[in-house]
Amino acid sequence: MAPMARVALFDPCYMSALRPQDAGFARHVLEALGDQVTMIDGRCCGQPAFNSGFRNEAHSVGRELLKAARPHQTVVVPSGSCTSMVRHYLPTLFEGRRASGAAAIAGRFADFASYVAGHPALQDVVFKLDGVVTYHDSCHARRELHASGAALQLLGRVEGLEVRPLLYEDECCGFGGTFAAKQPELSVAMMTAKLDDIALTGARVVVSADYSCLSHIESGARGIGVQLQGWTLAELLSRALS
Amino acid sequence: MKTYRERASREIRLERPSATVTPIMRKLVGDSQAMLSRGPADARQRASAARAYAIDNLEDLHVQLRGRFERRGIGYHRCATAEDAVAMVRSLLGDARRVAKSKTMVGEEIGLTHALRKDGIDVLETDIGEYIVDIEGRGPSHITAPALHLNRARIREMLARTGADLPDDDPTRLSRHVRDVVGDFFQDCDAGITGANAVVASSGRITIVENEGNVSLGVSHPKLHIVLTGIEKVVADEAGALAILEVLAPSATAQPLTSFSHFLADPLPGQQRHVVFVDNGRSRALRDPRYREVLKCVRCGACMNSCPVYRVAGGLSYGSPYMGPIGAVLAPLLWPDGRYADLPFASSLCGRCTEVCPVGIPLHRMLLDLRADAVKGHHAADLKERTAWKLWALSFGGATRARAATAFTRVGLRSFGRTLRPPGPHRDDPRLLPDPSIDHDPELLLKASARRSIIPESAITEALPASLPERFAHRARQLGVDVVDACVPREGDRLVRATAAIASTGSVLLTGDQAARRPLLAAGRVVVMVDPATVVAFPHGLAAHLGGGDALILTGASRTADVEKIIVRGIHGAEEMVVVLG
Ligand code: SF4
Repeated sequence: MAPMARVALFDPCYMSALRPQDAGFARHVLEALGDQVTMIDGRCCGQPAFNSGFRNEAHSVGRELLKAARPHQTVVVPSGSCTSMVRHYLPTLFEGRRASGAAAIAGRFADFASYVAGHPALQDVVFKLDGVVTYHDSCHARRELHASGAALQLLGRVEGLEVRPLLYEDECCGFGGTFAAKQPELSVAMMTAKLDDIALTGARVVVSADYSCLSHIESGARGIGVQLQGWTLAELLSRALS
Repeated sequence: MKTYRERASREIRLERPSATVTPIMRKLVGDSQAMLSRGPADARQRASAARAYAIDNLEDLHVQLRGRFERRGIGYHRCATAEDAVAMVRSLLGDARRVAKSKTMVGEEIGLTHALRKDGIDVLETDIGEYIVDIEGRGPSHITAPALHLNRARIREMLARTGADLPDDDPTRLSRHVRDVVGDFFQDCDAGITGANAVVASSGRITIVENEGNVSLGVSHPKLHIVLTGIEKVVADEAGALAILEVLAPSATAQPLTSFSHFLADPLPGQQRHVVFVDNGRSRALRDPRYREVLKCVRCGACMNSCPVYRVAGGLSYGSPYMGPIGAVLAPLLWPDGRYADLPFASSLCGRCTEVCPVGIPLHRMLLDLRADAVKGHHAADLKERTAWKLWALSFGGATRARAATAFTRVGLRSFGRTLRPPGPHRDDPRLLPDPSIDHDPELLLKASARRSIIPESAITEALPASLPERFAHRARQLGVDVVDACVPREGDRLVRATAAIASTGSVLLTGDQAARRPLLAAGRVVVMVDPATVVAFPHGLAAHLGGGDALILTGASRTADVEKIIVRGIHGAEEMVVVLG
C-alpha cells in the first residue's frame, strides 16, 4: 500500500442541498484508497454569482472557501464546475498580492476524477459492478479541466460495467447554472436533446463528473416520465467497491 | 421585442429553428474538424499569430497600407462611426444608381442597404442567401449562411413574392433562378460593393473569398468597386493572409478553400477602387485588455455552428447584425448603450465556442466579463435580483449560515420538490425541482434496453498518394475537377496556365493576366494547365508564388450551399473545370 495521504474533501453547497448522500460516496472511495479525509462544508466557490455577473458577491463567498482550504495540501472536489471555478476564476477576483495567495491555494484543488485516476493506490483497489451506463461529459470537466480521460479511464476499471458511448457527447446538457432558470426555453430544449441522445444508448443510468448537469437531466427525465438516473462518478465507484 | 429571451421564445415557439439548424450543424462541425485535420498541424496557431500581429500593430500597418494604396491608385478611407461610413459610401457612389452588393457583415452592421435604398438607389443583394433574406426582410441568421433558417419550401415562397414562378423547390433550381436575376443585373450596373477578408499592408492587395462568383463579377464588371471592411482586417503580409485562408473555409463551411480566393491588386483600366475602413467602436474594444482579442476574429462562424444556444434559438433571436457567441461578445462592445447587454447571458458557458475558434479567442471568458460589465453598468439585473444576490452572499459568507441555508433548501425540496415546477412563466417547462430524498436504484443498471444509436467508426485514415502532384490530382478530383494528361480544346474554353497548385486543397493559383475574371466567368469550360513541379503542399506555400499583381486561387467550380447547405455547382462561371497536369 502507498503511504496514507491526508486530503480535504469539499462538499459543494449545491450538492449538500440537492444530493447530500454524495459526499459519503466520495469519502468512501477516498478512504478505500487509503486517504485520511477531512470534510469542508458550508462553503461555496462563488460560481452562481460569478456567472451572473455579481463579482463582489462571488468574491466575498469564494474567499471563505479559500480560507477553509488554507490548511490543506490537497482539496478534492466531487464536482467539475466548482473545481474549474476555484482554479480558473476565483483567483482573478483578488487583487495584487492577495491574487497570488489565492492562486496558490486554488492550485491545490483537484477534481475527483483526476485525483482518483492519478492516485498511487488505485491499482490496489478492485471495482466491480454489473450493469450498463452511459457517460455524460460535463463541459467544465471536459474543456476547463481536461478530466474526461480520467473519468473514462476510471469507468473502464469497473469490472462488469458496460459503458455505452453517447452520440454528441461534447454537447452541453443545457444546465449552465443560473442559465437554467434565466433562459428556461433554451435550457429545456438543450436538455431534451440530451435526453434523446441518452435514450438512444438504452442505458438507464448516466454517469458524470458533475452532479449539476445530472440534477438538471434527472429533473427533466422525471418531469417527462423517462426512467433515468444520474449518478456521479463518486457514487458509481463507491457502489462498485462494496 | 425588447429582450433576447422574448425573441428567442418566440422563435422557438413559432419557427422551431432547431429542426433545420441542428442536423445541419452537427454534420458541419464534424466535417469541419475533418477538413482542418487535413491541413498543417500548426494552421490554427499560424492564423492566430497573424491576427494577433495585426491587432498589436494596427496603426503602423495602416500607415504602410495607405502608402501602398496610393501607389496602386486605390482610395483609402477611414470612418469613425457607422453614420460616417454610410455617408462616405454614399459620396463615393456619386451618381451611381444601380449598385450590386455582395455579402459584407460590416454592411449589415452600418445598415448600408437600407440607407442607400432610402436615397432611391437600386441596391441588389447578389449573394444568393442574402438575396433570399432580403426578400424575407428579417436579416441574415448566420454570418456565412444568411438563409440558414429557411428550408427550401420557404425559400420558394420568398422567391414567389418577387414574381418568380418556380415549378418546384429543388435547390439547384432555386439557386440558379437567383443566379440569373443577379447575372442580368450585372449586365448594367454602376457600382459593386464587397467586403474583404484581409487587406495586406505590405503589398496593398485585398483578399476576398467567395463561392458563387458574385464577388468576381462585382470586382470586375462595374466601373466602381467599393470595399467595406473593419479597421482590424489589415494583416502584415501575404503569408498572414494565407494563414487566415488556411483555417477560414475549413472552419466556416468544411471546404478546403472557397471556390474563389481573390488577391486584388491595381484597379482595372477605367475602374476606380476604394476601401472604406469602419471603426464603429473597434478602437475602444482594442484598448480594453479583456476584449481586444475579439478583433482577431476572421468571421468564420465556427463559434455559432457549434453553439447549442444558437442551434436552439437560431440567429435572428440575437436581434443584432452579429449572432452566436461572436455576436454576443461583439454587439455589446460595438453598441455599448445597453441595447445588447442581455446577449452575453444567452449562453450556458459550455465553452465550445472557445474550443473551436480557429484564432483562439476566449469567447466564453469574454461573455463572463461582459456579464459583470452589464451588472455594473446597470444594463442587466433588476433590483430584485440585486437584492437576492446580496442575501445570498450574506448567507454563504459564514459556514454556520451556509449550512443553515443548504439545510433549509434541502428540507424545502424534500417536501415540495416532487411536485413543484421551477418558478417562472414558462408553461412548457417539464422539469421538476430536484428532490434530495429520492434514492438511486442500482437495479436500473441492469434494466438497460438495446442500444439504438450507431456510433460512427472513427474515420479510417485516407491513404494519400505520396507525391505532391498526385495528391493535388486526388484532391482536385474530389472537388469535381477533371484531372487529365491532355485535353481536346472545345469552343468556349478559357485556357489558362497556373503559376502553382496546392496538394492539400486541389487548388490552382492564377496570377497576372491569367487571373482576369471576365473571361473566366464567360467561359463554358475552364481548362487549367498545371506544371507538376509547381505543386506546393499547403496554401501557405503559395506565399512565394503570388507575385506582385493580381492573383486568384481557384478551388473547384463556383458553387453555392445557400439552400439547406446543399451544394449546387456552377453558379456564376463555368460548371466544368479541367486540369491538365503535365
Ligand atoms: S469568434 Fe472565432 S469562431 Fe467565431 S466567427 Fe470569429 S473567428 Fe470564427
